[in-house]
Amino acid sequence: MAATILRRLIHMIAVLFGISVLVFLIFFATPGANPADRIAGKNASPQTIARVEKEFGLNRPLPVQYVIMMKKLFISRNLTSFVNLGEKVVPQVFKAAPITLSLVSGAAVIWIVFAIVIGALAAAFRNGWVDRTLMVLSLIGISMPVFWVATMANLITQGVWHHTWLFSWVPPLGYVDFTASPLGWFKALIIPWITLAILYIGLYARVLRAALIETMQEDFIRTARAKGLTERQVLLRHALRCSLVSVVTLFGLDFGVLVGGGALLTEVVFGLQGVGYLTYQALETLDLPMIMATVIYASVFVVVSNAVVDIVYAAFDPRMRLRR
Amino acid sequence: MSNLLDVTDLAVSFRTRSGLIRAVDGVSFSIAEREILGIVGESGSGKSLTVLAILDLINDPNVVIAGSIRFKGTELIGQKPGVLRRLRGGAIAMIFQDPMTALTPVFTIGAQIAEQIRIHTELSRHAARSRAVDLLDAVGLPDPARAAARYPQELSGGQRQRAVIAMALSCNPALLLADEPTTALDVTVQAQILELIRKLRDDFNSAVILITHNLGVVAETADRVAVMYSGRIVESASTTALFADPHHPYTWGLLGSMPALDGIRRPRLATIQGLPPALNRRPPGCAFSPRCAFVRPACINARPPLTGTEHQVACIIPAPERATARTQALAA
Amino acid sequence: MSDALLSIDKLTKTYTTGSALLASGKTMIRAVDAVSFTIANGETLGLVGESGCGKSTLGRCVTRLLDVSSGSITLAGTDITRQRGAALRETRAGLQMIFQDPYASLNPRRRVRDIVAEPLIVHHRGTRRDIRDNVAALIQAVGLRSEHLDRFPHEFSGGQRQRVGIARALALSPKLIVADEPVSALDVSVQAQIINLLTDLKRERGIAFLFIAHDLGVVRQIADRVAVMYLGNIIELGATEQILAAPAHPYTEALISAVPVADPARAAHKTRIVLAGDPPSPANPPRGCPFHPRCGYATDICKTTKPALEVLNDGRFTACHHPRQG
Ligand SMILES: Nc1ncnc2c1ncn2[C@@H]1O[C@H](COP(=O)(O)OP(=O)(O)OP(=O)(O)O)[C@@H](O)[C@H]1O
Ligand SMILES: Nc1ncnc2c1ncn2[C@@H]1O[C@H](COP(=O)(O)OP(=O)(O)OP(=O)(O)O)[C@@H](O)[C@H]1O
Ligand code: SF4
Ligand SMILES: [Mg+2]
Ligand SMILES: [Mg+2]
Repeated sequence: MAATILRRLIHMIAVLFGISVLVFLIFFATPGANPADRIAGKNASPQTIARVEKEFGLNRPLPVQYVIMMKKLFISRNLTSFVNLGEKVVPQVFKAAPITLSLVSGAAVIWIVFAIVIGALAAAFRNGWVDRTLMVLSLIGISMPVFWVATMANLITQGVWHHTWLFSWVPPLGYVDFTASPLGWFKALIIPWITLAILYIGLYARVLRAALIETMQEDFIRTARAKGLTERQVLLRHALRCSLVSVVTLFGLDFGVLVGGGALLTEVVFGLQGVGYLTYQALETLDLPMIMATVIYASVFVVVSNAVVDIVYAAFDPRMRLRR
Repeated sequence: MSNLLDVTDLAVSFRTRSGLIRAVDGVSFSIAEREILGIVGESGSGKSLTVLAILDLINDPNVVIAGSIRFKGTELIGQKPGVLRRLRGGAIAMIFQDPMTALTPVFTIGAQIAEQIRIHTELSRHAARSRAVDLLDAVGLPDPARAAARYPQELSGGQRQRAVIAMALSCNPALLLADEPTTALDVTVQAQILELIRKLRDDFNSAVILITHNLGVVAETADRVAVMYSGRIVESASTTALFADPHHPYTWGLLGSMPALDGIRRPRLATIQGLPPALNRRPPGCAFSPRCAFVRPACINARPPLTGTEHQVACIIPAPERATARTQALAA
Repeated sequence: MSDALLSIDKLTKTYTTGSALLASGKTMIRAVDAVSFTIANGETLGLVGESGCGKSTLGRCVTRLLDVSSGSITLAGTDITRQRGAALRETRAGLQMIFQDPYASLNPRRRVRDIVAEPLIVHHRGTRRDIRDNVAALIQAVGLRSEHLDRFPHEFSGGQRQRVGIARALALSPKLIVADEPVSALDVSVQAQIINLLTDLKRERGIAFLFIAHDLGVVRQIADRVAVMYLGNIIELGATEQILAAPAHPYTEALISAVPVADPARAAHKTRIVLAGDPPSPANPPRGCPFHPRCGYATDICKTTKPALEVLNDGRFTACHHPRQG
């Protein structure tokens, strides 16, 4: 187990290094454009460009430029935006990260719990009416665009029905820090959580159902039945545990992508100033340092959560530990 | 002595678009306490379905099981699920062919054995665990305490099959159903497992139904043998009688096509022409008639019943003519 | 031996497994360990041993489907060990392989006619017409009928598929066929049909076989000589009847005694040698004789010194410090 973790960590660091080099090359070494121009932003003065060139060592060899950039991102963390003059980029990302993390983790808890319950129910009653109803519902969940769901949710909870007893508790749009008020945090996020989770509930429930039905055909399920277990015990103890692997894999990817800024639409509609929101703004203003910071941050998250998932995987499923 | 299990006219059919397919077509046999019954037959002859039907383990919504299966006098066909479930793994345990896939990969061997013990007894988690270790020891797994903490894929095929057997024995079953327990194993490991199965009867007082397609395995292990062909039993006798004086032309064919390890080496093996019939195109008479060298008009029209008391055979060749026919069959 | 068709000298094949990132995770598996033997023209050598002992690896090295790690393979006087390109293609024409799983080795989307004709077309053997006649003749030779030519593999039973595989292997009139467990997946009665077919082919066409099997009875039926493998090594090699009647190596002895006899009268008083344990992993083979941890005759020398494959008085070879015969 320890060896698995170590191997995975080394792998992770190698991947992160690769990504940072790649991102750096895209921004600093693509032919045809002067990186200084891009960093300085639209309509920058020649003095600003000269300052950028000096600050980022742009006349020095590429590896040195890379080191300077990484230093600014990770060590001194004083990378500044030239679009919003003087604004330090890294602290902004750090401020946005907890918001995104809160949003995505809460949604993840909801989607995992519901997906497991729905997937297991559908598999247990496969081809019956329970199964069909649940699968139609999950298909609807998958096909509703997040943007639309979010807007509708806003319309209902903030607008038309806000003054009924049902939704009067919903606070105005925006984020409430957990440390300031846990209840406020919860109230502010519950509607965004559900909104974000709907798609994934549908997706995961379907994947889990398929995996469960496949697992139920395995030989060891027959052994489990032959031991005298009830059908429910067979499903919940033996089949579910083996089928969760496919869900865990998906989860690692989806979680990383969402935390890395993939929840952009939800964040924008609900006015949550998370990482997605930040990227969105930076892209609008072509704020290169900010884009760079969010991209690197996003990749760190995708890679780290993938590594964590692999390790969880190994804990979950001993088959993974042995396979090299 | 009364029988432990009586199977009468068992039929296992599947509903398909082109009507009912009878995969097991009227099988009757019984087994006494502490007896080892071998069921031999080639692939698709219905061996697995026959024993799976006993515990209602055929996992197909289109299956139809008819006939009678009496275990210690209780009818099992149409029995309530709860009653069958208490029998499964308790009084009747089962071992499957492929030890590689028969155990759940995400639980340790010990946990899987303990789980079965706790279904059928009141033992505590801890006591069940230590009984699991004792069982692993009893089936000859080296270092049983460590083995109990291992996952199935960390053991070799033979060790896994021992673990499966330990699990099957955990609640002292009166009847053990073993579906090709050694087919996936090497000969030297097969020899170990067969030795273990022979020993079981003495240590655990279990009767065993041993399914195999290897005539050598039955010859060395079983007290009685039933030969299956196309969903039917064509011959059934004590092991000694069956091998000393086989009655059915199909049994002759099977014995003749087995390359032997000693005796004279025949330049060519005796073979049976053709293939078994498709289950939905079984001939109306004897299922073996299209391939039989001794076929007569009577074989084609009516299914020969399984006759005889000690040595049963489903063939109309009159007893006095058998010996000459067999010599003919071997010469061909 | 100079008149040997195939001659294998100290052939070794190692597999490297494990992660490429961490050197510590790497393991070397010596699947075939310095094996030497010859096969004469028209001779059948049976290769027996238990699962994982390296039989398939050896067979695949001989047909050059795998690259060898060291040692040499000589076919009809030509060293083919490191042949490439056109020369290798030419060699392969005379050196065919039949596999255990006839289904996996036949392209499911092609008709039998095309499957059997393929090697002829690839090697430009004759005109279209010649090839068509040739295919028809081949399919008859393996006991199928010409109406079978237009069917697909899935329309056949296991035994019939194996016949198609054999027809394909025969197409280029090879001198040597490596058959890797060709009958192991078949029922006894079908197995007997295929064994008879191979026996006939061998006699009529003078083809030599390297016949891999784990069933000793099958090997006895078809092989002139037999080689017994254990953990990547050949531990006994000699005439089939000689070895089966009186094995010299303790492992061969145990292997033979483990085969169940379809005769209760004899089974009752045969001496059973039930080996303890499983074959060790080729990733870390024991020191000394590879068989010593399971051997009933092992002495101290067995634990330290690996016995070489040496010829005994009766002409067979065995690798044992305490041979039971000869
Ligand atoms: N669920 C099913 N639906 C339809 N046919 C089935 C089903 N299960 C088994 N059969 C058919 O019933 C026949 C008997 O099957 P069974 O598994 O009992 O054979 P077997 O004697 O155990 O063979 P083997 O040696 O290959 O295990 C086979 O021809 C098989 O195709
Ligand atoms: N591609 C591979 N990579 C690593 N190890 C391998 C590979 N192929 C085979 N081996 C190992 O080499 C050894 C010999 O394998 P091989 O397939 O030759 O055995 P075999 O005698 O043919 O066994 P079987 O009777 O099961 O077919 C085994 O321990 C196997 O695990
Ligand atoms: S060398 Fe020794 S250990 Fe090896 S087989 Fe011979 S007697 Fe047994
Ligand atoms: Mg079966
Ligand atoms: Mg092999």
